[in-house]
Amino acid sequence: MDQHLLSIILFTPLAGLAVLLFIPGSSKNVIRIWANVVAFAGFLVSLPLATRFDKGASGFQFVERAEWIPSLGVQYLIGVDGISMLLIMLTTVFGFIAALSSWNAVEERVKEYYAMFMLLQTGMIGVFLALDFFLFYVFWELVLVPMYFIIGVWGGPRKLYAAIKFFLYTLAGSVLMLLGILALYFQYHAQFGAYTFEIANLMKVVLEPGMERWVFWAFFVGFAIKVPMFPFHTWLPDAHVEAPTAGSVILAAVLLKMGTYGFLRFSLPLLPRASNDVEIVRILAILSIVGIIYGALVCLMQKDWKKLIAYSSVSHLGFCTLGIFALNPNGIAGSVLQQINHGISTGMLFLVIGVMYERRHTREISEYGGIAHVMPKYAIVFAIAMLSSAGLPLLNGFVGEFTILQGAFEANRVWAAFAVSGVILGAAYLLWLYQRVMLGQVTNGKNLRLPDLSAREMAVFLPLIAWALWIGVYPKPYFDILEKPVQQLVERVKPGYYQGQAALKAGVR
Amino acid sequence: MSVDDAIRFLPELILILAATLIMVCDPLTSTHRKSTLAVLAFVALLAALAATAYSSTDPGKAFFGMIVVDGFATFFRAIVIVVGLLTVLSSNRFLEREGANSGEFYALLLFSISGQSMMAASNELIILFIGLEISSIASYVMAGFLRDDSRANESALKYFLLGSFASAFLLYGIALVYGVTGATNLSDIGSRMQPDSLLGGVAAALMFVGFGFKISGAPFQMWAPDVYQGAPTPVTAFLSAGPKAAAFAVFVRVFTVAFGNIGDRWEPLIWISALLSMTIGNFAALGQTNVKRMLAYSSIAHAGYVLVAITARSESGVAAVMFYLGAYALMNVGAFTVVGHISRKGERYLRVEDLSGLGVRQPLTAAMFSIFLLSFIGVPLTAGFFGKFYIFKAALQSDLIWLTVLGLLNSAVAAYYYLRVLVVMYMQEPGEAVNEVEPLSPALRLSLICSAAGTLILGIFPSGALHFAVKSAVLK
Amino acid sequence: METFSFYAFAVLVLGGAILTITRRSAVHSAISLIVSLVGVAGLYLLQQAEFLFAVQIVLYIGGIMVLFLFVIMLVNLDEAAKERQFNGQWLIALICATVVGLQVAWFMTKGAGALKLAQVPVAAAQTGAPVSPGNVEAIADVLFSEYLLPFEVASVLLLVAVVGSVVMAKKRI
Repeated sequence: MDQHLLSIILFTPLAGLAVLLFIPGSSKNVIRIWANVVAFAGFLVSLPLATRFDKGASGFQFVERAEWIPSLGVQYLIGVDGISMLLIMLTTVFGFIAALSSWNAVEERVKEYYAMFMLLQTGMIGVFLALDFFLFYVFWELVLVPMYFIIGVWGGPRKLYAAIKFFLYTLAGSVLMLLGILALYFQYHAQFGAYTFEIANLMKVVLEPGMERWVFWAFFVGFAIKVPMFPFHTWLPDAHVEAPTAGSVILAAVLLKMGTYGFLRFSLPLLPRASNDVEIVRILAILSIVGIIYGALVCLMQKDWKKLIAYSSVSHLGFCTLGIFALNPNGIAGSVLQQINHGISTGMLFLVIGVMYERRHTREISEYGGIAHVMPKYAIVFAIAMLSSAGLPLLNGFVGEFTILQGAFEANRVWAAFAVSGVILGAAYLLWLYQRVMLGQVTNGKNLRLPDLSAREMAVFLPLIAWALWIGVYPKPYFDILEKPVQQLVERVKPGYYQGQAALKAGVR
Repeated sequence: MSVDDAIRFLPELILILAATLIMVCDPLTSTHRKSTLAVLAFVALLAALAATAYSSTDPGKAFFGMIVVDGFATFFRAIVIVVGLLTVLSSNRFLEREGANSGEFYALLLFSISGQSMMAASNELIILFIGLEISSIASYVMAGFLRDDSRANESALKYFLLGSFASAFLLYGIALVYGVTGATNLSDIGSRMQPDSLLGGVAAALMFVGFGFKISGAPFQMWAPDVYQGAPTPVTAFLSAGPKAAAFAVFVRVFTVAFGNIGDRWEPLIWISALLSMTIGNFAALGQTNVKRMLAYSSIAHAGYVLVAITARSESGVAAVMFYLGAYALMNVGAFTVVGHISRKGERYLRVEDLSGLGVRQPLTAAMFSIFLLSFIGVPLTAGFFGKFYIFKAALQSDLIWLTVLGLLNSAVAAYYYLRVLVVMYMQEPGEAVNEVEPLSPALRLSLICSAAGTLILGIFPSGALHFAVKSAVLK
Repeated sequence: METFSFYAFAVLVLGGAILTITRRSAVHSAISLIVSLVGVAGLYLLQQAEFLFAVQIVLYIGGIMVLFLFVIMLVNLDEAAKERQFNGQWLIALICATVVGLQVAWFMTKGAGALKLAQVPVAAAQTGAPVSPGNVEAIADVLFSEYLLPFEVASVLLLVAVVGSVVMAKKRI
């Protein structure tokens, strides 16, 4: 089983989809049950990945390799390291949670809805698994289609605009990325006389510095739009606000991570010198910091609850990219952990909004107030989600942000100083939001008789809360898992970094 | 004429004989039993396909080097015959609906395909020209087959006038080539053409004008939207796939075999034409409200992508042309078939909005159409993606960096108007047009499923077709 | 003698052409065109292209010109003569004439070498027959051996054209 574990994880949703097609569209509850079963199965088959993962080993594990298009050197090559393992777990967990949370939310075209989610799930897992650049690109593009339909069919009032914007933005970025991929591909052929898209091989290519910078920017456009980094973020609020709850959850929790993952898996290892170029790093760090502060400031202005959380994603993802381009172990490990954290906490926040939206069908913050009196369980869940996002110690957000700031401080103190303001602003807009929605007296009569969380809804939140606490209290296993891959990355981008650090420590003593 | 010669010409022979047979049988069949003639045409096309496969087992030249059976010829023969099969499947119901089901249509269709098949295998300018004219004249008439429809008449007349104009240019070019080299055989021309020949360059330019019209590449694309819009939809599907593929086949063969020596002369021409076609096609398509017209502009843009591959002037470029045209033929015929199905009697429903809610009313039709549209966009796991990928790969290999960048950006722009159709189909409430649409007839269903399956198979397992294309891309 | 004939035919060609475009009456124009075409046929004969000479007479003068005259007779000539003629495009005509003139002048000064024509094996088609009995036989030879396929396939082209025109002209399909 071990040698095909990843394929099983990858194709479980697709197999579920194949069966789903034979269930008649009118039996909605059968479809819902089946979709939840498939999503849960998707999570179950991914569990062995976590238990059998060998964190001491360097390189990729569970590797599977098969020829796909031999004449082009395209392979079906998948495998995981610590970074992708964590992101896959995130994906499978949220696959299940998204399916569970949409039980009541979707009434129309239920079959198509779950079909799209299953396709999306396969696409996302594929992105994190692929070790062949071509395969990666295929999955990367494939994710667009189901997400486009999820936003466009089951979304809010401005869904058409949001869906098309989402698709076109990402497509424009990825065609440029394709150009970069092809440049590497041909360079490899020029230097080694063979065609391949395998990442391990492409890493051997030595580009001339000017060209390496061009390729870096080509990748950058593709990944930065997906993250999204300032100033490519404008599709995100639209897509988030218009998407159905489960769509927003997946979008925030998993889809955005594809961009940061792209930086870690491709930009850094394949283009180490460009990634370590002082100018480029400065530009990226500045863009990240601008994203952090700008996102947070915009959050303070929002009247729409969901839009606020959407902009908070811009801010939080700014931390992730800042951590990556701090280019030291703390920064990168923190960044990966923060990606998981952002998935958990922002995912939870979108679910929180979804719960309320199902009851009241509005997201105007001014419509609410004093909800804590009506829905006490809900108030607790929301509080935990909010505090985890704000980075309260003992919850997950704190660990990630702290580690990133540590890394940023090590790289450049000014960056860290600016980034800290993002943490403070983050606490401000989240607490203010909580205050306006939950605290005080119930002023709006419509809010007086809202039912509290149902058992199903609690079932959605509990695993996430547990996970948030686990990371917050005992993050060591995560750092252990990340240690090897991060070490390889840093060693690749900054050769001799570890010896330098060791020498430094010896000197201090 | 030896047996070998006959076998290498067998697909055309079968088609011509079948077309004549259909005309003989036409008066003998009663008005409401014309579908039997469609069956006859279908069987003849299948036989021609088998003959194509059979003749490819023994490649070589025939009739004093007039035609050549090689991988390239076989590939394009197969494309035009498959396009013919799909057209027969989709046009029978259409013609019945419009009250114009008759043997002449199928006879003309077979004649047209025999001409295209001849073009695919031609290795000589005269047979090339005759094949082109057979194909064109039959298509002119097919475009105007619904004679009570004024738009169809306009379409046919426009197509005829501009097509004749193009043929004249082509003929002028052929005459100059003969004047320069004293040969009409492509291989002879290739060996006799001087690299610095001025008249050779002029001849290439004139022939490019002729081919440019036939493939609807800019700046000779003006006729395409009007003709595609006015012609009966199954005919439009046919026109945009079959004659186009055959014209590209002779284009590639003439320009690589005969004009290979003077490549740097014509490369800039095609570079410009490729860019213009992509840009004009895509940007004009953005503003269209009529689906057929939109697809017409999109077909101009796709011609532009293929021209990019021709600009690469390499074997991988030729392979990319082959693969792309195969993929394009499938998805384009499929897309037009759906449009013809929705349009209903008299082709009343052709606006993009008329497709609204198709995803609710006819999920299967909508799903097929989505596959074709996604393939047009170039989303992975569809044939369109690999087609574009090979094209831009070939272009980069030949250092056409800017053309590649512009082409890629163009393909991102193009996504917009294809997505709009998807939006309308799935994200809007069913409208008048879709509410009363009849269920897919078995023939249409078969035609659509075949095109969609082909699009997906070429997208997921492209190895076989690609390998064949690469192997056959060596033109001598 | 040959020079004299050449100039005589040239006068026929040019004179006929000038008369074709200057006569107001369509019938006169058509007849002038015939004169011009006869002159071209004569030039072919001078080049020992008997086959082209025959084709020129049969096809252009016999076939196409008769068609022209038919059309002219169907048109109301009195009406047409009164209407404004479309030959007022002096500028375009002048440009075209200049371009053609320059081309001719360029080729005359440069000579045949400027064209970089390939070395054509002139007698290639006639190798089978050492003593060529004449142009027509040579063409027939090639036409029914090497060019047999185009010759036969051309009949398909004609068939398609006939079918097509019948389909377009028939009242009911």
